[in-house]
Amino acid sequence: MATQHSRAAARVMISPAVILLLGWMLIPLGMTLYFSFLRYNLLMPGTESFTGWDNYYYFLTDPAFSSAIVNTLILVGGVLAITTIGGVLFALLLDQPMFGQGIVRILVISPFFVMPTVSALVWKNMFMNPVSGLLASLWRFFGAQPVDWLSEYPLFSIVVIVAWQWLPFATLILLTAFQSLDQDQLEAAEMDGAGALSRFFHIMLPHLARAITVVVLIQTIFLLSIFAEILVTTNGGPGTASTNLTYLVYAESLLRFDVGTGSAGGIVAVILANIVAIFLMRMIGKNLDA
Amino acid sequence: MARAVSTRRKWITTVVAWALALLIFFPILWIILTSFKTEAEAISTPPSFLFFDWTTENYGTVQERSNYFRHFWNSVVISIGSTVIGLIIAIPAAWAMAFVPGKQTKNVLMWMLSTKMLPPVGVLVPIYLIFRDVGLLDSRLGLIIVLTLINLPIIVWMLYTYFREIPVDILEAARMDGAALRNEILYILTPMAVPGIASTLLLNVILAWNEAFWTLNLTAANSAPLTAFIASYSSPEGLFYAKLSAASTMAIAPILILGWFSQKQLVRGLTFGAVK
Amino acid sequence: MGRITLDKVTKRFGEVEVIPPLDLTIEDGEFVVFVGPSGCGKSTLLRLIAGLEDVSGGEIRIDGRDATEVPPAKRGLAMVFQSYALYPHMSVRKNIAFPLRMANMDKAEQDRRIESAAKVLNLTDYLERRPGQLSGGQRQRVAIGRAIVREPAAFLFDEPLSNLDAALRVGMRLEISELHERLKTTMIYVTHDQVEAMTMADKIVVLRAGNIEQVGSPLDLYRSPRNLFVAGFIGSPTMNLLEGRAAQAHGAHTIGIRPEHLDLSRESGEWSGVVGVSEHLGSDTFLHVHDTGLADIVTVRASGEVELRHGDRVFLTPQADKLHRFGENGLRLA
Repeated sequence: MATQHSRAAARVMISPAVILLLGWMLIPLGMTLYFSFLRYNLLMPGTESFTGWDNYYYFLTDPAFSSAIVNTLILVGGVLAITTIGGVLFALLLDQPMFGQGIVRILVISPFFVMPTVSALVWKNMFMNPVSGLLASLWRFFGAQPVDWLSEYPLFSIVVIVAWQWLPFATLILLTAFQSLDQDQLEAAEMDGAGALSRFFHIMLPHLARAITVVVLIQTIFLLSIFAEILVTTNGGPGTASTNLTYLVYAESLLRFDVGTGSAGGIVAVILANIVAIFLMRMIGKNLDA
Repeated sequence: MARAVSTRRKWITTVVAWALALLIFFPILWIILTSFKTEAEAISTPPSFLFFDWTTENYGTVQERSNYFRHFWNSVVISIGSTVIGLIIAIPAAWAMAFVPGKQTKNVLMWMLSTKMLPPVGVLVPIYLIFRDVGLLDSRLGLIIVLTLINLPIIVWMLYTYFREIPVDILEAARMDGAALRNEILYILTPMAVPGIASTLLLNVILAWNEAFWTLNLTAANSAPLTAFIASYSSPEGLFYAKLSAASTMAIAPILILGWFSQKQLVRGLTFGAVK
Repeated sequence: MGRITLDKVTKRFGEVEVIPPLDLTIEDGEFVVFVGPSGCGKSTLLRLIAGLEDVSGGEIRIDGRDATEVPPAKRGLAMVFQSYALYPHMSVRKNIAFPLRMANMDKAEQDRRIESAAKVLNLTDYLERRPGQLSGGQRQRVAIGRAIVREPAAFLFDEPLSNLDAALRVGMRLEISELHERLKTTMIYVTHDQVEAMTMADKIVVLRAGNIEQVGSPLDLYRSPRNLFVAGFIGSPTMNLLEGRAAQAHGAHTIGIRPEHLDLSRESGEWSGVVGVSEHLGSDTFLHVHDTGLADIVTVRASGEVELRHGDRVFLTPQADKLHRFGENGLRLA
């Protein structure tokens, strides 16, 4: 296959994809970087001027920034904890013989296909609404005072909504990993006298390690950019109680029209995401050689 | 599992699994049920589960009031359009990388992946400004362009993992059998690659259909797909639960069904082949 | 016609030279086997002939025409792959028809050739099936069918039997030999199994690290291996190679003696040792003899019903005319 002719053809075939992605990455990112050093407000066009590191200084020292970082970490960490632990348990359960396994599987993965705006709105209005939500009815049924979830526990509520969307993803991937586990290994362990718990911890969990890492890293990439769920439920509030980094940058740029500060925030977000990306890429890269 | 399991244990597993699965699925079920209620019943306390006057009037109202099908059509055009363009760009690239791998192939693939890791918010402002200046804001074309680009790495990767599973031997056999490159692609490669291409298409339509960062930020009334249209219910209009539910049911139903069909490919696509 | 000549053919992958300049002539109608341990370059050499790899230097001629730059599709050669490489989406009939279709042969002639190939290969009942529904042996036959219908100048086989179980392997070996008898077409066959080489070949090419160690008929190689490598590679069980005192007694650095060329006695002989494991094959018994002072184990062939036990002392005498002598450089001494 490896002839001179085919190599030249290959290069031509790859180039459109490469050029497009290169443009997509370099041009806007370059502009963001450039804007981040400008005083630039969309409401005052024509007054752009170079300000050096001012935008970064302003963005990083804004109390909203530190709270956004904390919120982002809670959001990502909370969802990850729920989905990976829940996902392992669910996958383990779904891997057992049962009646109607196919349908159970379909039911469990369904939330992943619900568009973020639908799930956020439905949870907000039909479940978490303190008057007419289903949870309020449930609370009243047990004689408790209904809770105004999104005002009192905004971040927790968003974690619940997002976790509901991502639990199926984790379950599905971990289930796939479970199914690739060699049954002989489990039987060998059983012959060696390993009980159910030690089989889980010594055989299954190590086998899942790789899939769990993939789940954590990929979810992190997506969870760092959670946006729609916040926009339609709390708008980042009350105050900045549920503003994450993505939402903060959006608010700076398109709500307060402060492009300079927003761009500085965008660059900060890119740097943070890259730290995660490096680990993910190593994982996937290793797999390429295998 | 070829292991013998007692029937009793199987029944216990079944009951527990079904209970948990229904709990997870319940919000979706609730949306569907509510869409068939009247507004009064939708907010009644205690809520009624099955014993209410079933009505389909909400579906009609949603269309009348807000021209629902225009947004539905926007979603169709944008998700399918971006996927097809993505495939046209990605198929040659993935083919070349799978069958004529060079020293740089791995690096190119990893680099493509890295563009997917770029948080969208990092490039939101320039894209917004560029689109504003060239008149692509609130246009379907603009969204098709953006969604093609953000999903291109996934398309290339998925196709690459599928193509790589086609044995090189078979292509060489075709060459030995006297097939020129054109015939090799037409008679051998394409039929063998179609299942992989179809799965890639399916997954990507799902991802594009549900994309909710760019669709919310780059559209207004005109080209808004369903994600953005539904978001407009976050205004006080959202208190019309039955209509919200009807709109939501129609928005998620097609993709839910597609998703059920593609669950296996989903794993591969979303983990870039790291888990199969 | 299928006379294939390699003239100073070389192949480099980057800096690594896997085939140093190599000359070889394959006569029309010959059954040539390339044999050698894995990584010896035998498959690469076959792929160079097929045109699936570019040569880095030298010339390949098929029937006198320079084919070095000719693409594989135009060389008029047919190949049977180790994995069979059947087209999974086509029926057996379409698989076999594919090369004919590519040659734009008319439909009637295609059908005639497919039917006759199917008859020869016992595939008539399976023509409408997909490869996935066939057993390993049947797939192998389809691959061969696909190769024979186009009546190529030569057949190339790349370890075609290595995916079959032992019993089928023996059967297919015979079938391929018979096919060669009938078609009289040049065949080039790559294997790592010296038994296949010995049983099938008119001419064996022994390769090591891209170099030709020896070319000759099976019996040539068996009778007079040119060096220690060929001596150790050809023949089963392998030749006993002895150094030191015993070799000096015969004026050589190393002597080689095949298990079947050692005379066994309980009373007297040139060497003596103690019986270890005996492998009873029915027709023959192979004895592992220890403590000879010559090598760890000396293998001897005895008759099938020999009554020797573990620990018995035996005496061995090499048949003088069957003794191979090698010099310090590993080459055969005249």
